[in-house]
Amino acid sequence: MTAGTSTVEREDTGTGRDGFARLVRAEWTKFHTVRGWVIGMVAAAGVIMGLGLSPGRQGSCGQNGPDSVCALPVGPGGQEVTDNFTFVRRPLAGDGGITVRVTSLTGLLPTSGEGTRPGLVPWAKAGIIIKDGTRRGSAYAAIMVTGAHGVRMQDDYTHDTAGPPGGVSVASPRWLRLTRSGDDVSGYASSDGTHWARVGTARLAGLPATVQAGPFATSPQYTQVINQPLSTGEVSGPSQATAALDHVTLQGAWPAATWTGDETGAFSNASPLQRGGFQQTAGGFTVTGSGDIAPAVPGAAGLGTTITQTLVGTFAGLIAMVVVATMFITAEYRRGLVRTTLTASPRRGRILAAKAVVIAAVTFVTGLAGAAVVVVFGPGVLRANGVYVHATTTFTEVRLVVGTAALLAVAAVLALALGMVVRRGVIAVTAAVVVIVLPYLLAITGLPTGAARWLLRITPASAFAVQQSTPQYSQVDNVYTPVNGYFPLAPWAGFAVLCAWAALALGLAVLLFRRRDA
Amino acid sequence: MSDATIVVDGLRKRFGAAVALDGMSFTVRPGQVTGFVGPNGAGKSTTMRVILGLDAADAGSALVGGRPYRSLRRPLSQVGSLLDAGALQPSRTARNHLRWLARSQGLTDRRVDAVIERAGLRTVARRRAGGFSLGMRQRLGIAAALLGDPPVLMMDEPFNGMDPEGIVWMRGLLRSLATEGRAVLVSSHLMGELQDTADHLVVVGRGRVIADAGVAELLATASGDRVTLRTTAPPEASAVLTRAGATVATGPGAATITGLAAEKVVALLGESRIPFSEVSAHQATLEQAYLELTRDAVEFHSAAGTGASR
Amino acid sequence: MRPAGMRYALHAEWTKLRTAPGTVWLVLAVIALTVAMSAAVTAAARCPAGGCAVDAARTSLSGVELGQAVVAILAVLAIGGEYSTGMIRITLTAMPRRTIVLAAKAVVLSGIVLVAGTISVLASLLAGRLILPGPHPSLEDGSVLRATVGSVLYLVLIALLSLGTAIAVRDPATAIGIVLGLLYLFPIVIHAVSDPDWQRHLEQVGPMSAGLTVQATTHLSGLPIGPWAGLGVLATWAAAALLSAGLLLHLRDA
Repeated sequence: MTAGTSTVEREDTGTGRDGFARLVRAEWTKFHTVRGWVIGMVAAAGVIMGLGLSPGRQGSCGQNGPDSVCALPVGPGGQEVTDNFTFVRRPLAGDGGITVRVTSLTGLLPTSGEGTRPGLVPWAKAGIIIKDGTRRGSAYAAIMVTGAHGVRMQDDYTHDTAGPPGGVSVASPRWLRLTRSGDDVSGYASSDGTHWARVGTARLAGLPATVQAGPFATSPQYTQVINQPLSTGEVSGPSQATAALDHVTLQGAWPAATWTGDETGAFSNASPLQRGGFQQTAGGFTVTGSGDIAPAVPGAAGLGTTITQTLVGTFAGLIAMVVVATMFITAEYRRGLVRTTLTASPRRGRILAAKAVVIAAVTFVTGLAGAAVVVVFGPGVLRANGVYVHATTTFTEVRLVVGTAALLAVAAVLALALGMVVRRGVIAVTAAVVVIVLPYLLAITGLPTGAARWLLRITPASAFAVQQSTPQYSQVDNVYTPVNGYFPLAPWAGFAVLCAWAALALGLAVLLFRRRDA
Repeated sequence: MSDATIVVDGLRKRFGAAVALDGMSFTVRPGQVTGFVGPNGAGKSTTMRVILGLDAADAGSALVGGRPYRSLRRPLSQVGSLLDAGALQPSRTARNHLRWLARSQGLTDRRVDAVIERAGLRTVARRRAGGFSLGMRQRLGIAAALLGDPPVLMMDEPFNGMDPEGIVWMRGLLRSLATEGRAVLVSSHLMGELQDTADHLVVVGRGRVIADAGVAELLATASGDRVTLRTTAPPEASAVLTRAGATVATGPGAATITGLAAEKVVALLGESRIPFSEVSAHQATLEQAYLELTRDAVEFHSAAGTGASR
Repeated sequence: MRPAGMRYALHAEWTKLRTAPGTVWLVLAVIALTVAMSAAVTAAARCPAGGCAVDAARTSLSGVELGQAVVAILAVLAIGGEYSTGMIRITLTAMPRRTIVLAAKAVVLSGIVLVAGTISVLASLLAGRLILPGPHPSLEDGSVLRATVGSVLYLVLIALLSLGTAIAVRDPATAIGIVLGLLYLFPIVIHAVSDPDWQRHLEQVGPMSAGLTVQATTHLSGLPIGPWAGLGVLATWAAAALLSAGLLLHLRDA
């Protein structure tokens, strides 16, 4: 057509980049004019919201009067913490220090019945602590022996430094020393009381002049995972640790004359295993405690759940989106529409790119809407049902919403690419669902933890890590499984695994699309 | 064959707001080819689907050999049909497609090979049907229709996609099927395709029958008794013929005479020794007859946009 | 001549399924993927000899979780291809009795899945014997035999559920999405729901979670629903799908 004779009106779009924008607009028109696909997207958002807001959980927090309100202390870093231990203390004014010898650490574990059995959880801990008063959640630094992790220096709940390994016994005791100098608290360990090695120094900003210091003992929740295909169970319950300490030596000004025994954060309905106490012995103490001084975790070892659980509808939404994304390409082949498409724009790689852009944008926006509603309102529904939901920062909430939307978008692109590769909608949908959803399902049900974590590192299901809302702590033994909202990869690393798979599939799709006859 | 009939009586059906069938009634008789013609969206395919029990009519009945299709024991031995030649699973070979159909009627592979032969598919029978041209698919569809050796045949647009050779073959096939005493219903939206093939026409528009008559009868109505005359002496010829009671319209090169038979015109011109190069009785084409009949329906169709063309 | 009609329909559907080139590959895929995943899970779940708390038979048969997806493809394609090409109209023209067409498809499909399932399940058990240290689950043990036979029947019922769904929704990709959603979403949602009563109820009604209880050979008292009753739940799902498919075939324009 020569200019002047043609009266065809054109929208002046997409002149840059050889009209790619025009191609995207064409594909978008193709998409939104098929009613079934639009319905599919609305259904996807609906099911994400529906499952996220449905009251499928019941808890007892706040359901039985004001006493039943669940609240966790908040540590100096702003995070929710556990702060339950037996504290034998005296005030320490100004700089000073305390040295003890630990000669034994023993404990009791729950059994599946009513009884108890001797044993130590790996993170049972006893030693000496310097703490900003007895308020739960206040700043502290401590050096301790543990059930299975040797000597540790810990402070302010989240920091953990390893000292000399090995357990303690009368034959091989452990000497521990904690000294304060201004805001700095240093921990030392020794096997003979003569040769000391510094384990670490903690800076506790704003530590008051007078602090509480002395021996402590505590023992966290016992958890054991029971693996069976399609049913992963957990046995959990409180445990108890008892430590024998002697050779207590004090430096500096310790104004009170006697030791006070405290069960910081004592449990109101304590079971026998949760009771603590201390006895003064010749030259020392026997301290018994239960609980933990550590970050609070959701799941078996802790209380309540996380906001991640409200996003379970992502899976249902994902399946709906995978179906639509697959049809977006296979419908071209059903009645030879692809020939019309290729006549209109013969450059095949660009067509696929335009399709990917459209489906990614549509699923991203749909996912964003669904996830935003769930993240904003879901925790409220759970809390109204008496379920404790761990607090999350706004930053994390934004990451959950954007990450979920991005996950759905990339999954849709993966499905689109698979649809191009196999050109059969049924097989493409199944392949996409099997590679994205089945690994997750296996990881939470059938497989032992090792295999499950491995699956969530290499399969497209790794991307669900973007929904992790609470960090994992090496100093807290918990069932760190996806069910409890924990993934083996960091959020965006997991997402990158899915992106890599999608890129691979898309590359293969472009290659095949170029080579094959339409 | 007394059961070789299709009787459609008062069919009504609507798809949402669109009326597809609005009291469709006609009968297809044995021994002749009945053309089923009308513009796109007139309800031809829907009628055929209702006859085959694929769609349910809102009202009215469609009987094959006196019975509703869904009650037939071995339907392909009663009615052979070709609706959509593309409706095949592309990965199956032509012969295997016919084989599963034969199994469903308790027929043998011998019968399959016989219809492959008759449809002219012998050389491609073991190829994937997905690779067939449209004309080849039509032949495969016809082979399927002939499978049960049925007394009634019904084909929707069988000439679609056929090359000229194929169209000639198809016409011959339809004629011979009728000669064998079968009732043959063939739909088309192009009247020309049915010229020299159909004995009887059912013309439909807007979901109902506009005309139901023999081809000869329709042609006569449309032709009138016009005669075309080419002569070097138009004024003289006009004078002679007008005197004999005819009306003459003179055009460039030829004149059209109404009111006199061709033989009479020749005799009169001969008597008066007026030279002429041609005297021919005007033969209306089916196309013209059809256009005349369906003018209303077409106008409606253009105005209403695309109707239900199912 | 009703019996003959059914016989012809069976013969036709068998020819149709046999001559669809995908069928053979899908049957092979059912076997290969089931056995491969069973072996992989068994190897991953391998525990120190003697102190094994896992249900050895159930672990050996866990490939059914993947194999069922291919069975669903097989079933959906058995009818979905006819809808996407329009061949369903030829089928219904040749066999106007909807019930007979549906029954014939169901019987032929069940037959194929029965054979593929039996091979898959027995090969998976064999793989488990080679991988696990022992004592090996034996077919002479009543519960192991039940798990084996039940797994095959489970796959057959998955095929029927998929067939019914595919006929009801007519679009193959949507049908497989619904089937996979029904199968895989229940267990995921169950794990996200912490309330034990809710969990139990969901496990009792989920087609996969209830159906696969038929594989359990240990800790039977801890199951949310009895093994055969669980398979019965899946059978109810399949029956409901087939029933709605039959009704829609009758009521709907083809």
